[in-house]
Amino acid sequence: MQRTAHISLNHWSRFFSTSISRKCLKSKAVPIQLNSRGYSVLPTPRDEEEKAMLDRILRVDHAGEYGANRIYAGQMAVLGRSRTGPLIQMWDQEKKHLAKFNEILAENRVRPTALLPLWNIAGFLLGASTAMLGKEGAMACTVAVEESISEHYNSQIRSLMEKDPDRYTELLNIIKEFRDEELEHHDTGLEHDAESVPGYWLLKNAIQLGCKAAIYVSERV
Amino acid sequence: MAALLRGLRAGRALRGLGSVVAAPTATSPHCSNLRAGFHCAAARLQDDSKSDKTFTSSSSSTASSTTYHEHYQAQSPEQDTETAEEASRPNTSYQDQSGEQGEEYETEEQLQARILTAALAFVPQHGWSMEAIASGAETVGLSSASTGMFYNGSGDLVLHFIAQCNSQLTEILAEQHNQIQLGQAEPKKTAEFLRDAVETRLRMYIPYIETWPQAMSILLLPHNISDSLKHLSTLVDDIWYYAGDRSTDVSGPSHPRSPSSIHTFLSPFHHHPSNIRPASAQLNWYTKRAALTGIFNTTELVMVQDSSPDFQDTWNFLDNRIQDVVNMAGTAKQVQSTGEAVVQGLMGAAVTLRNLTGMNQRR
Repeated sequence: MQRTAHISLNHWSRFFSTSISRKCLKSKAVPIQLNSRGYSVLPTPRDEEEKAMLDRILRVDHAGEYGANRIYAGQMAVLGRSRTGPLIQMWDQEKKHLAKFNEILAENRVRPTALLPLWNIAGFLLGASTAMLGKEGAMACTVAVEESISEHYNSQIRSLMEKDPDRYTELLNIIKEFRDEELEHHDTGLEHDAESVPGYWLLKNAIQLGCKAAIYVSERV
Repeated sequence: MAALLRGLRAGRALRGLGSVVAAPTATSPHCSNLRAGFHCAAARLQDDSKSDKTFTSSSSSTASSTTYHEHYQAQSPEQDTETAEEASRPNTSYQDQSGEQGEEYETEEQLQARILTAALAFVPQHGWSMEAIASGAETVGLSSASTGMFYNGSGDLVLHFIAQCNSQLTEILAEQHNQIQLGQAEPKKTAEFLRDAVETRLRMYIPYIETWPQAMSILLLPHNISDSLKHLSTLVDDIWYYAGDRSTDVSGPSHPRSPSSIHTFLSPFHHHPSNIRPASAQLNWYTKRAALTGIFNTTELVMVQDSSPDFQDTWNFLDNRIQDVVNMAGTAKQVQSTGEAVVQGLMGAAVTLRNLTGMNQRR
């Protein structure tokens, strides 16, 4: 019902648009050859809006995994030679996530966010500075980041399910799998005395606020 | 009384004229465009007032003015007999029109695309303007008043042409890609691929090269700029995609290209594993497209004022620009590796110093 209303609204706006090519751009078929392999995680988008929505989702997920990688890199740079066991395992999983998103972005010709260099530096600094507070600080940072990433994945899953769960099954499976792993990291962080760092509440909320801002911006830029 | 009648007639004629603008698929007229249409209607009004009509014939002429495709009939005495016939079948022609539309239904956009494609043939003659579109409309078999559909006029024509060129290029590149996949052709090196793609695309301008400066200035108009930039960015993205660019993909297995082609060109940091230097590989997506946009635009500018045979100067310029970018990428890679060597040297020196002063020992 919403979809038909949305489609009719779109037709109406097309009728009033003052440029044919703008109409052409809106209604043009998505390029024939989207990926070099026949198989893709994403369904072929039906129109520009769906492509824009999928682009947004993938762009922000890619930016998120990239940032998480850099945070772990920062933490490892400071704490690398000390208690590295749990940290290493989490970082390896993040690398796997990033590789998967790189692959999806390249196949589906999604534009990565232009702010990647910013997330590079910011993530590294965040990881390094929290690691300097000690192991508990690093764990607190992990807990905060993983919690906001899981929330974010959950809301994406929700919106994809609302639209059309059958169409997006593969993408949903990937996001669900990643969300489960991020929740594991979150629990690992809690197990390793994240809450015992002084100023835990402040640190956690500050980091989560930063994450929310980063997600908002990465979707758009 | 006569003045009242004249006023009525003028009102009906204007309303009828309005319906002509709204329904562009009228039969072929005798006037060439909308402005002339007004003149026709005015002339008709004058004819009406000049001719010695009785009340009944004048009423039938006003009745006929509501059937829109009578407006552009020749101003002749036989108009009276025709209008008398039309008055007896007031709405048949309108129904015929809608019947035709039902049989060969196409969307307005497809119709506009057809008209614009036909209009391209008249561009060398009329330039990128409404006259060309009107001539195109006539070729397709429609009234030239159908130019009323195009709010942006020459902008629509130029943007349509650009979109057409882009899709032609995409088809050619996809075909080449298929050939390579089937093993019937050799994959090209990136620099050569880009050069060929840009040359193919610019060659599509050759038939219109005389009027191309006008087209470029039309594209720079504020209301056209966003669309022309969108077309440019899709063009550049397509070319890089078919050149094999997968720049967010640092470690994926999907691309079969040999290291010599992609990795030596504009991916100076490609050899490093992703956990050390992921940022620069990601920024590649933007720098590659920006570089290609620069190359394409400057080459286009050179082309419009090039008078050498078969635009040889333009292609030489293109070669040089691509070579510049390749050199710059190579230089950047060298700087990068030099920097890393320097850093390693410094670290080594620091460790040596610590050893010498004994600070490295744990006590």
